[in-house]
Amino acid sequence: MTFWLHLIILGLLGSLAGALWRVWVGPAQADRMMAAQLIGTTGIGVLVLLAVLQDWAALTVALALALLAAMAAIGFVKAASSDGAGDPEECAPGPTDARDGQR
Amino acid sequence: MSRVTMKAMIHRTVVFALIWAVLSAGDPAGQVLGLIVVPATVWLSVALLPARNPLKLWRLTGHTPRFLVGSVAGGVDVARRAFAPSMPLNPGWLRVPMQLGDGARVALGAELSLMPGTLAAGSDGSVLLVHVLDLDAEPGRAVEAQAAEIAALTDPAPEGP
Amino acid sequence: MPEGLADIATIVLTGIGLVFFLAGTVGLIRFPDVFSRLHALTKADNLGLGFIVLGAGFQADDWTQLAKLGLIWALALLAAGTVAQLVARAALRQEGRE
Repeated sequence: MTFWLHLIILGLLGSLAGALWRVWVGPAQADRMMAAQLIGTTGIGVLVLLAVLQDWAALTVALALALLAAMAAIGFVKAASSDGAGDPEECAPGPTDARDGQR
Repeated sequence: MSRVTMKAMIHRTVVFALIWAVLSAGDPAGQVLGLIVVPATVWLSVALLPARNPLKLWRLTGHTPRFLVGSVAGGVDVARRAFAPSMPLNPGWLRVPMQLGDGARVALGAELSLMPGTLAAGSDGSVLLVHVLDLDAEPGRAVEAQAAEIAALTDPAPEGP
Repeated sequence: MPEGLADIATIVLTGIGLVFFLAGTVGLIRFPDVFSRLHALTKADNLGLGFIVLGAGFQADDWTQLAKLGLIWALALLAAGTVAQLVARAALRQEGRE
């Protein structure tokens, strides 16, 4: 059991490493924004398994990470908006209609 | 204080008290602190997010299993496409006209993002922009069904006695 | 539940969880456009986390651990749905500007 859970943790970290390749190469800015969510979700998974292995103390850490990861991801997106604070909805682009540099 | 606000405060008090009970379990001092923390949180949450369209909790209980099944299907679907050597994708966009209010639209977007093959990307006026993985899978109908379910969860008019 | 059965459940569920995390990574690497990649990340990773949390739940000794696991998973789901929308929106805006 202990061995198996360690194996899964290693697998999760390997999966994270592979996904970070995408963050590394991009190319879109959004590919990089995904890093926050990626590390958050994988990190929570690892911490939950560590909690099972080590007396459940890490569970509170996983809970804190779950909260902070959401905030971090939202921060990542907001930081990329034009004024660094805004709501991505503030300048509305549609995928299909043509736009003429409104910004 | 309106009836809607009152009701929302009761709901939120119950939810926050439950969360606090979980967080502080086994620590009597922490539980006592909840007597301050929970009302303060309720006050803050009502200040930041005033109650307008009360959720119908009993409908939420009916909706949750469907949501769970849908999100499992969503994960399986995307995993299948990722692992398949041929990688069957036919990505594209849907523009779905919406009647929902802001909050419900965000909730719908969050939910759609976990359902099979759909991903919300905010709205353009009253049109919800949805990215779909496979245009051949008739995603439009699924989106509309979800929208109807979310609409049924909230009660637009304040509830009677 | 007997110890052995719970262990088997944990092993199977965490294994499935890892498969979904790997699927998310494969999708992130293989899918051709940023929006499709966002699908992969959001849906697969969250289902993976769901299975891992469920698997861990079979090892819990009391209800508070189960409740905390549930809270973690609910938070992760909420965050994933919200963040996916925001990132998709940001990507869309960026595309529109180019």
